[in-house]
Amino acid sequence: MPDPLSSDSNSPAPPAASATFRANPALSPAVVGLGITEMGKVYGRTAPDFAADAVRRAVADAGLRTADLDGLLINSGVRNDLGLELARDLDLRDLRLLDYLQGYGSSAGAMVSFASLAVSSGLATTVACVFADAPLREGRGTGAAYAARKPPSGFDGLLVDAGLASVNARYALAARRHMTTYGTTSEQLGAVAVAQRGWAVRNPLAQLRTPITLADHQASRMIADPLHLLDCCLVSNGGIAVVVTTAERARDLAQPPVHVKGFAQAHPGYPDAGDSAFGLVSGAARSGPAALAMAGASIEDVDVAELYDCYTFTALLSVEDYGFCAKGEGGAFAESGALGPGGGRTAFNTGGGQLSSYYMWGMTPLSEAVIQARGQGGERQAPRNDLVLVSGNGGVLDHHSTLLLSPHAGS
Amino acid sequence: MPIARDAASAEFFDGTARGELLLRRCTGCGRISAPQARQCPDCAATEFTPAPASGAATLVSWAVPHDREGRPLTVAALVELAEGPWLRLRLTGVAEPAADLSAGLPLTVSFEAVADGETVPVVSVAREGRHETVDRIPAPQEGPTP
Ligand SMILES: [Zn+2]
Repeated sequence: MPDPLSSDSNSPAPPAASATFRANPALSPAVVGLGITEMGKVYGRTAPDFAADAVRRAVADAGLRTADLDGLLINSGVRNDLGLELARDLDLRDLRLLDYLQGYGSSAGAMVSFASLAVSSGLATTVACVFADAPLREGRGTGAAYAARKPPSGFDGLLVDAGLASVNARYALAARRHMTTYGTTSEQLGAVAVAQRGWAVRNPLAQLRTPITLADHQASRMIADPLHLLDCCLVSNGGIAVVVTTAERARDLAQPPVHVKGFAQAHPGYPDAGDSAFGLVSGAARSGPAALAMAGASIEDVDVAELYDCYTFTALLSVEDYGFCAKGEGGAFAESGALGPGGGRTAFNTGGGQLSSYYMWGMTPLSEAVIQARGQGGERQAPRNDLVLVSGNGGVLDHHSTLLLSPHAGS
Repeated sequence: MPIARDAASAEFFDGTARGELLLRRCTGCGRISAPQARQCPDCAATEFTPAPASGAATLVSWAVPHDREGRPLTVAALVELAEGPWLRLRLTGVAEPAADLSAGLPLTVSFEAVADGETVPVVSVAREGRHETVDRIPAPQEGPTP
């Protein structure tokens, strides 16, 4: 067994952008608008419809008009049906920044990072970042939404033959490797699901609000052993957007600003050979320390962590890789109840996450982080919110992004 | 489900039809890579010669996708070949999925002819020089997604 952490020995250097922010605090970036459309089994609307709706809502939330935007960053979901035409749908003129990016679940963090760099460098002043997706069709199983659409050929055909056409099965392979290496159990994965449902019960935005028990998790049908149904996220139609501007401009807007203190990405590029850390270590092990260094903080300072949770396993692995517990002890950490309401020093996935609230890729943790940093979490508001961590995960643990947010300006 | 070849996999499926699992040996440094490798991970060379695998492998991880009625569809295995590369292949001959499996379990590569498609490599649990004939586990269908 290789040492999964041996490849992470380089200490990450803080991105140069942190120096820029400190040199001119007026230009430091802040999230000032959040727009969440109707969400879930909402039929008859396309992804571009949801995206435009989300941007309009985010701009209105900030106390701005769409004409105030001079930047737009777009991330499309699995159907790849969003594009630069969105600027036309929103009647945006004379944009100084317009781009489409795709890092799957890491995209929301990446968009906020690029928007932050843009506003702090003067490339643009007011940038909307949007994700929308409409994979669900009325009368069709949710399984079809993410199923492969082309007949298999070539080496991809072997993946289909092996039973790995679905993302579920590929994550099941990752989870199993963690289980056989560290002794992680299905019950420990279940503890993640139970904890997050505990939060969702308190979240009016959540789609699943009936409490569940560990027995419910164990009895839920097997999707891809070792993953049960309750280990898997929802699939939702909808859209979410945020607006990023400078701290100086943020002062005059409608919502309390949420300052962007740090960000980083990590893309492990697992080799298909014995030294691969696939299933054992995610990109969070690198992007977490790098983002914290940029923010001048340590993991002990994190009050709220909104972790990407396409599966219970993804959240459990991220808990370890960020350093909330030791490597291999994520299962025991979850089992201790640390992830549920009233759990411990750090509040985790306070909205219920993608498992129980809504599945909008990286916008799920980001939107809840903005709500928590504003102190608008109502029944589920964490007692402390000085530093909020947001993780994004894409592919099958292939892509990772980290954001650190705070209601406080300055460093 | 029959698999069609494409340009990148033609040589590989010529190999499986002969009962050979062809890996790629780097012409620069000799490192052996997976059949679908495009660049040598050691020296970045892009020229390879085919290198038949011995067929010995070990189990790294496995998953058992189920259909909506809760029936196991197949056992998907992540395997490490004796030559080093990892492959994702169907694990055959396991009646009760997951029951007797463990990381590091020795496996053997064999080949299954498929009507109207290419011959596919599969793995089974190694049994000291003897191959058992087993009923095929039902072919995988569209994977369920939450
Ligand atoms: Zn080489």
